[in-house]
Amino acid sequence: MIDEKILVWRFNRGSKDAFQMLYEKYKDDLLGLAITLLRDRSFAEDVVHDVFVSFAGTTGSFQLSGTLKGYLSTCVANGARDRNRLRSRRDVGLDAAEAVQCDSDDPVEHAIDSEQSDKSMQLLGRVAYEQREVIVLHLHQGMRFKEIAEALGISINTVQSRYRYGLEKLRSIMNSMVTK
Amino acid sequence: MKPAKNIEEFVRLEKPNVKTGCEMDERTLDASFAAMDKTIRAGKRNAAGIILRSRAAKLAAAAVIIVGIGLLMVYRNPPEHQQTSKIVSVAKSPAEMLTAMSLNLAWRRGGIEAIDNQSEKAFEMLGSQPAKASIQELLVELNGV
Repeated sequence: MIDEKILVWRFNRGSKDAFQMLYEKYKDDLLGLAITLLRDRSFAEDVVHDVFVSFAGTTGSFQLSGTLKGYLSTCVANGARDRNRLRSRRDVGLDAAEAVQCDSDDPVEHAIDSEQSDKSMQLLGRVAYEQREVIVLHLHQGMRFKEIAEALGISINTVQSRYRYGLEKLRSIMNSMVTK
Repeated sequence: MKPAKNIEEFVRLEKPNVKTGCEMDERTLDASFAAMDKTIRAGKRNAAGIILRSRAAKLAAAAVIIVGIGLLMVYRNPPEHQQTSKIVSVAKSPAEMLTAMSLNLAWRRGGIEAIDNQSEKAFEMLGSQPAKASIQELLVELNGV
């Protein structure tokens, strides 16, 4: 935590090394979040790219109130929501979205990534976007309901109800899969 | 364990393990560094801009200039009374002040008033003298007898 504060402090003084270290620390986690939300690797990469570029543009004036992970996760969630809206306008629903692709250089890594991503995201992909967003931010990114509510600009009750309905939906999907 | 807890655990454990590719890293870092450079350049320009645009900074700059010009004028052309006293005060000790040469100089610069001032100053520096002194005492003082 202290290391992160020092890195942010150095980043605020224009250190590119500090920025690169922050990027290395959070890039995979944020890409995972974006992929889970969007179910499309290329869209997810664009969102993470945009988040880091706009974060870099705040050098000299960036003020961290909570954790950097929470801040960046919120940015990714907001960016993913915007992308999702754009995609919805083009009539490409989540079910029609192309499968998650991996552009990793290593074929073995590619296979592992694809398998894991498919497994974990198949179920979440069938939950409504708003519910999935809350579930992923809470369970994967470790954000509290209050933080999520502030980040998304909704009430904490809405967050909790979305979370609860999302879990119920997941359970019903899993039950139906077992009965089949 | 409750079913809801089971699902929570399942989702938590199934966090996707993805990694960014080299191409994405390069693209993102390049664009980010460019954004940082742009912000830093803009920040330097803004600092100058703030000084120029700010009303308070303008007033402060004008005040500094006026005070500077004023000080320069005062030191270059001091008022006449200061000029006289400056010339007179060239002599540092009372003995020097009372020499014929310094009294002559004071006469030329400020007339009888300047001589009077210089003499007074010299007597002040010598210390207070008794208001009344007998001739005998004066002779003793002058001749040392």
